[in-house]
Amino acid sequence: MTLLTQILVSGIGFALPLLVAAVGELVSERAGALNLSLEGMMLSGAFTAVLGAVTTGSPWLGALAGILGGLLLGAAQAVLSVRALADQIVVGIAANALALAATTFGARLLLADRGREVPAFDRIAIPVLHDIPVVGPALFGQTPLGWVCVLVVVVTAVLLGPRTGRGLRIDATGEDAVAADRTGLPVRRVRALCILLTSAMAGLAGAQLALSEVRAFSDNMTAGIGYLAVVAVIAGRWRATGTVLAAVLFGLAQALQYALPALGVAVPPAVLTMIPYVIAVVAISGLAGSSRAPSCLTVPFARA
Amino acid sequence: MSRLLHPAAVAALAVAAALIVGLLLAGLAGADPLTTVSALVEGMLGTSYAIGESLNGVAVLMLVAAGFVIAYRAGLVNVGGEGQLCAGGIAATAIGTGLPAGTPAFVALPAVLVAAAAAGFAWAAVPAALRVWRGTSEIITTLLLNFVGLALVTLMVHEEGLLRQPVTSSETLPQSAPLVEGAHLPELGLSRSPATVGIVVAVVALVAVGILLRHTGTGLRLTALGHAPEAAARLGVPVARARFLALGGAGAFAGVAGGMLVATAPYVLAEGFTSGYGFSGLVVGLLARGSMTALAAVAVLLGFLVSGGINLQLVAGVPATTVSIVESLIILFIAGSAAWAARRRAALRAPAPRPAATQAETVGAER
Amino acid sequence: MGALLELQGLGKRYGAVDALHDVTLSVSAGTVHCVLGENGAGKSTLCNLVNGGVRATTGSMAVREEAYTPGSPADALRRGVAMVHQHFSLIPTMTVQQNLQLVRRTGLRERLDRIADEFGLTVDTGRRVADLPVGARQKVEIVKALVPDPDLVLLDEPTGVLDVAEIDALIGTCQAIAGSGRAVVLVTHKLGEVSRVADAATVLRHGTVVGGGRLSEVPVPRLLSLMLGRDAAEIDADTAGAVGLTPAPRARFVPSASPSVPETTLTARNVPPASPSDPATTLTARNVPSASPSDPATTLTARNVRSGASDASGPTTGPVLSVRGLAVHHTDGTAALDAADLDLRAGEITGIAGVEGNGQSELVRVLSGALRPSAGSVRLGDADITSATPAVRTRLGLGVVPEDRHHEAMVGELSVAENLFLGDLARFRRRGLVQRAAMDAAATRVIEEYAIRAAGPRAEMRSLSGGNQQKVVLARELAIDGLSVLVAAQPTRGLDVGAVASVLARLREAADRGVAVLVVSSEVGELLTVCDRILVSYRGRLLGPVDAADPTAADRVGSLMTGTAA
Repeated sequence: MTLLTQILVSGIGFALPLLVAAVGELVSERAGALNLSLEGMMLSGAFTAVLGAVTTGSPWLGALAGILGGLLLGAAQAVLSVRALADQIVVGIAANALALAATTFGARLLLADRGREVPAFDRIAIPVLHDIPVVGPALFGQTPLGWVCVLVVVVTAVLLGPRTGRGLRIDATGEDAVAADRTGLPVRRVRALCILLTSAMAGLAGAQLALSEVRAFSDNMTAGIGYLAVVAVIAGRWRATGTVLAAVLFGLAQALQYALPALGVAVPPAVLTMIPYVIAVVAISGLAGSSRAPSCLTVPFARA
Repeated sequence: MSRLLHPAAVAALAVAAALIVGLLLAGLAGADPLTTVSALVEGMLGTSYAIGESLNGVAVLMLVAAGFVIAYRAGLVNVGGEGQLCAGGIAATAIGTGLPAGTPAFVALPAVLVAAAAAGFAWAAVPAALRVWRGTSEIITTLLLNFVGLALVTLMVHEEGLLRQPVTSSETLPQSAPLVEGAHLPELGLSRSPATVGIVVAVVALVAVGILLRHTGTGLRLTALGHAPEAAARLGVPVARARFLALGGAGAFAGVAGGMLVATAPYVLAEGFTSGYGFSGLVVGLLARGSMTALAAVAVLLGFLVSGGINLQLVAGVPATTVSIVESLIILFIAGSAAWAARRRAALRAPAPRPAATQAETVGAER
Repeated sequence: MGALLELQGLGKRYGAVDALHDVTLSVSAGTVHCVLGENGAGKSTLCNLVNGGVRATTGSMAVREEAYTPGSPADALRRGVAMVHQHFSLIPTMTVQQNLQLVRRTGLRERLDRIADEFGLTVDTGRRVADLPVGARQKVEIVKALVPDPDLVLLDEPTGVLDVAEIDALIGTCQAIAGSGRAVVLVTHKLGEVSRVADAATVLRHGTVVGGGRLSEVPVPRLLSLMLGRDAAEIDADTAGAVGLTPAPRARFVPSASPSVPETTLTARNVPPASPSDPATTLTARNVPSASPSDPATTLTARNVRSGASDASGPTTGPVLSVRGLAVHHTDGTAALDAADLDLRAGEITGIAGVEGNGQSELVRVLSGALRPSAGSVRLGDADITSATPAVRTRLGLGVVPEDRHHEAMVGELSVAENLFLGDLARFRRRGLVQRAAMDAAATRVIEEYAIRAAGPRAEMRSLSGGNQQKVVLARELAIDGLSVLVAAQPTRGLDVGAVASVLARLREAADRGVAVLVVSSEVGELLTVCDRILVSYRGRLLGPVDAADPTAADRVGSLMTGTAA
């Protein structure tokens, strides 16, 4: 494999979980809920995925467990942010800390003596397509779970897009919750469901990371991917195509970081780390084109 | 019943609930409640070393939180504590390692801290400017700049041309050279305690902020701005300038905290030196809900729990992460129940009159 | 036809306060039922209860004789109860089409066509709601309420933002809806509308039902006295304005019964004193019984005449405030204000009439400093204040009572004292700190002087009633050092009758002191009783002026408001 191909492979490999989480987060943010706990959701998903796979011996059941792990945190975020009106930011940060501590604790308790062999997914090389030069292995060498991720992303984007009935209701909730409520939309329910969906997708993303890429669990293995997913939504200006593009870009940037020494380029990796965030700042400050966050983002809804 | 809805009572109940969960977890790890609690308390308060370490942490939390509260009063949410800590730390290190070796403390220390404050202010000034002139959400921009700041620190300590200490072997750690002695935060001199004057600075700052917010015209105007920006503008508050200074000020406070972190043993700048204080400080600020006493209480609680955790692991064999779990639960329970209780209290009050017909758009976004 | 909606002993309690108690009424299908009450009587609480916004604490409701306990607007819609909101149920950033799709996706076109056929209501579905003028938005709200084919349509104070033609259209729509076998509940404080459209009415006062019935049995004057709790004959001009009744032509000079009776009943305005040595008498409007017992209309007249010792000769000096060629544009480029000119003179009360959306709000905001005009100038005395900050304007003697009290005039979470003196804190500052005790004492004096009902100077502003809040705002503006101009935008909106009278009295007092007063109001009756001359805001231009003392003033203002030349 050439270096370029390698970069693409690891780039897409990094981008896929990022993409799943980002598209999930996009749904929540369109409804007005900001999930800073995305990081924690992914980490929980990774942990429960590995735990599930190791306990049952089946990577598929592990993946399911990963989704449930994400949902657990999502339920907490939904209850606290929507029903109790707690500050979404506080909850997000605290949930991340909780997830980090709990998964580390859990790993020590439950995974320490299980040995290194985690039932995971193997890559499938799709005949013919996999042999396309340069991009073949990257695009068509995913694991089965990876393909599930792609499917989930496409289905979500199609079923909940802004032109669909559900998508419209979600957007209404995020734009003007008071008006939406008066129109008869169940604002709190919509937001809660969106958060749950996001957390399920984040759990799936964590499972993909743990069972398809790294094939193990290590403390804090998500290392900021969750935050990057939130950033991808911002950089993508709250539109599905933008988010996908941003996620792929960030994934490639990440892969580039590790490839730089091999390329002989003297740019410090830290500079590359900054790029996604700088892009997002530029995007959101409207220095290039128009961008608008959903008007009700982070404002909890209370019927006065 | 309504007495139970008082914020302090709610918070106390939340803490209690979280502690119970913690005890259960400790039990899972094989330690009975008594051992757990005694190890925890001993870790928090047992040795003056532990107390000293905790106080230093409390000082950082207090400063970040106090800055957060100022901005919050003006209606701005500063999520950028981590990045501002980094900016402050970098500036402090740059000055602190650049000064000649024999610089006296009364020159070095203020220089370092002022530089840190200025850097923190500048780091917050970008989101502040974007908010004031383009209406961009400061929640998002400050959050993003956190990661840029953290990456910047990594950059600084990895590059010899920047702040990295001279590389003498392959084992030279990626961190800065130590700060000159004059720039070290003086210790309080308590026996075997690493506590520095940082805590004094923090408490003084807290008192000053309290007085500012409650008893000065500036504080009143900031409060008005946060609640009703249009009315505040009508009544003569220079809205744009006030917002810019409030967020910038929050950055300055966090910057000083970053400088203090670097000016404490081992007096070097290294990756991860912020230890999440930026986020923890924000949490402290939000949970305090405007009261300086509450802020101090929460800061002390969170600051001391960390030491307790370390001892818990050493003595009782319970993973230190248990304490982190309890901390997170405390925050979640307090946040959840406080908002819920506030809603119950509000329900007992008649609703505000229907707002009159308002203009749909104004030229120049105001939130 | 049986009762479509029935309320029995309905009540809503907040803490220790009863917003509503013992409300019993019945609405039949095929009728337009008006719920009447002055501001503060509990009408909005009632709407919220019926619409599902809040839950009742006592009593019960029934729709078609089945128990009705909605927990949300969605529940209400499911039972066939739809509400037409003033402004807040449309998503501004979305198009009309998208907003309507939120209610119903499939078969929307067909429903819209049916509604157009049945009620004559059509809307432009492609436009963004934020770009629509207020009257058009109202129409969209009505259409939106009709899309789910409700049995009962509840309208909450719908006419405040409509011009005469639009009000006629709305009344026609209500009658059409009722005619189709549905029921309409119109909640309002405007008696005039009630008499035109209602089949039955219920009157609310102090949170409970004080009377009502079919309009064929209960005459309008009776409704009026039920609403206000006093005899129709005792109602003065200010009050009449507050309930949407236009005062009759004035200037009926009625000499006193005998020279020994000091109180002169009634006059036109600006009656010069009987003799130069006679300090001018302040005369007030009172007690004019209707011309004949069979005349149902209550004709009320005259106005408070201000003592004219200082300005008996009328305004002579140049204008205190002068606006030239003022232009303001909307975000989509259309003009909100178009070359507006205005002069305000000392001691004179100028009014600006006009339905909302014709530029008056923008004019006030330019005057207060909240909005930058795209062209034109504003001069206060010698100074050009076109781009001056609000602080500078206050310093130069310009006081403003903004239209949106809750967002622009006061900070609800701060205390009365803080609201009074926020713009003037230097007065109480010593050694950098604000002297609370001194501030409280000064505030207490103001509270007493203006008879403001509040728990104390430290009471939170938002705990005061609307009328008392407005008193605080007025007190603050009237206390401005060297006040020379006072701009009051919709100063009596949402206030109960007592508060209305007090506010108008303060405005007159200010004018007596020599302040140039500008009152912007959508209530023509109110302007006629308090102003010396009235301009009309129409499509961004200021038309007129109309002399308020002119017997045909009401008609002339009315026609200017519709755009036809006076």
